[in-house]
Amino acid sequence: MYTTALYSQYQRMLSTLSQCEFSMGKTLLVYDMNLREMENYEKIYKEIECSIAGAHEKIAECKKQILQAKRIRKNRQEYDALAKVIQHHPDRHETLKELESLGKELEHLSHIKESVEDKLELRRKQFHVLLSTIHELQQTLENDEKLSEVEEAQESTMETDPKP
Amino acid sequence: MERAVPHAVPLGQMEVFQALQRLHMTIFSQSVSPCGKFLAAGNNYGQIAIFSLSAALSSEAKEESKKPVVTFQAHDGPVYSMVSTDRHLLSAGDGEVKAWLWAEILKKGCKELWRRQPPYRTSLEVPEINALLLVPKENSLILAGGDCQLHTMDLETGAFTRALRGHTDYIHCLALRERSPEVLSGGEDGAVRLWDLRTAKEVQTIEVYKHEECSRPHNGRWIGCLATDSDWMVCGGGPALTLWHLRSSTPTTIFPMRAPQKHVTFYQDLILSAGQGRCVNQWQLSGELKAQVPGSSPGLLSLSLNQQPAAPECKVLTAAGNSCRVDVFTNLGYRAFSLSF
Repeated sequence: MYTTALYSQYQRMLSTLSQCEFSMGKTLLVYDMNLREMENYEKIYKEIECSIAGAHEKIAECKKQILQAKRIRKNRQEYDALAKVIQHHPDRHETLKELESLGKELEHLSHIKESVEDKLELRRKQFHVLLSTIHELQQTLENDEKLSEVEEAQESTMETDPKP
Repeated sequence: MERAVPHAVPLGQMEVFQALQRLHMTIFSQSVSPCGKFLAAGNNYGQIAIFSLSAALSSEAKEESKKPVVTFQAHDGPVYSMVSTDRHLLSAGDGEVKAWLWAEILKKGCKELWRRQPPYRTSLEVPEINALLLVPKENSLILAGGDCQLHTMDLETGAFTRALRGHTDYIHCLALRERSPEVLSGGEDGAVRLWDLRTAKEVQTIEVYKHEECSRPHNGRWIGCLATDSDWMVCGGGPALTLWHLRSSTPTTIFPMRAPQKHVTFYQDLILSAGQGRCVNQWQLSGELKAQVPGSSPGLLSLSLNQQPAAPECKVLTAAGNSCRVDVFTNLGYRAFSLSF
């Protein structure tokens, strides 16, 4: 009777002790686990920081590229705008060809004009000669008529005179 | 015998007056401080208000941050134009140009540093100054306005060095062509004239209204806004908004906008313009309308891009016009909020 009470007390003490040991073991394990989780989290945290920094750099790069692309687009649009205006004007080769052909026509026509003018001059001179010869002939004929009139008058006076 | 106290307190004379003033206000000009954190706006009553952009853009912005930090009476007439050097704010309107120190401007009762009046031909009528332009290479300021001349003033000595004559009617706007030191001026007579600063002579004249593609006779021939990018120039107003190639003086692209535009500027690969409509228009150089962002004023008169390197977080576009509000666009796509006088 006495010993069973003691024994049961002893058993109870042993069980409490073992429970305490068990819970302490558990707590130690949990503590280990927490420490390792903390390390893990630290690692992940550092990795994320690195990737954030990397993303920042990529963003800065992309911004520079966007500015560059905008500059290129602006240049292209300026080029297009000027090209549109230039297209309105006709092609240079065609204009040169037209200019050449027009020049040739002009020369040809001026040649014709010169020859026509020469002909005109010649005809004018010939007419002038003709007219002056006609005038001279007229003059000579008039002179002849006058002379013959004077001769006739002289003859008639000579005819009346020598009959005294 | 006791009079019942009315629940609604009647508005005093002062408040009614201020409300009326705000209703009829027009903001003509804006200028950003050299540190990039403040914006000055000048209105038709001659007042200049300084807004703190950094406070309004910060994450703890409250309603008071959208009000000016300080407002003072700068001129007797409207403040038509303002520019900033690295230490001064220069404002002009009723024939005089005044300078204020940015460092002192936030204190109450700020006085102007100096005031100058260009030599006008007649002393009877003082013509207004519509546009100011800084020429950093020679440290001088160009003023243009009602007397149809461009006056150059040296900023160090305050002396007026040249008077460029050629316009037959008053001048609306000025622009600087960086590479060759040339100034472009556009005015009511419908011509954009290029002046060489070294020889003080007119080198080129473009009469915009004579070109059929862009002239709109029903609007008039006045040139309201000018911007240049060395080889290219964009101008608008009475005639349609057009992009010109300066060397050949040919109009290359016409932007299909019916309303006359009052302010235009080049930004990266876009052209931003604002005028009689409510919106800020963004155009590509090919003539396409990329975006139209509505603002809060019924008509816009000035745009300002804060590109100061010292404050990249305050890099915003601000637009102001026929109301007491200055719209702030943080991203060119939408209006973030408005500052108000």
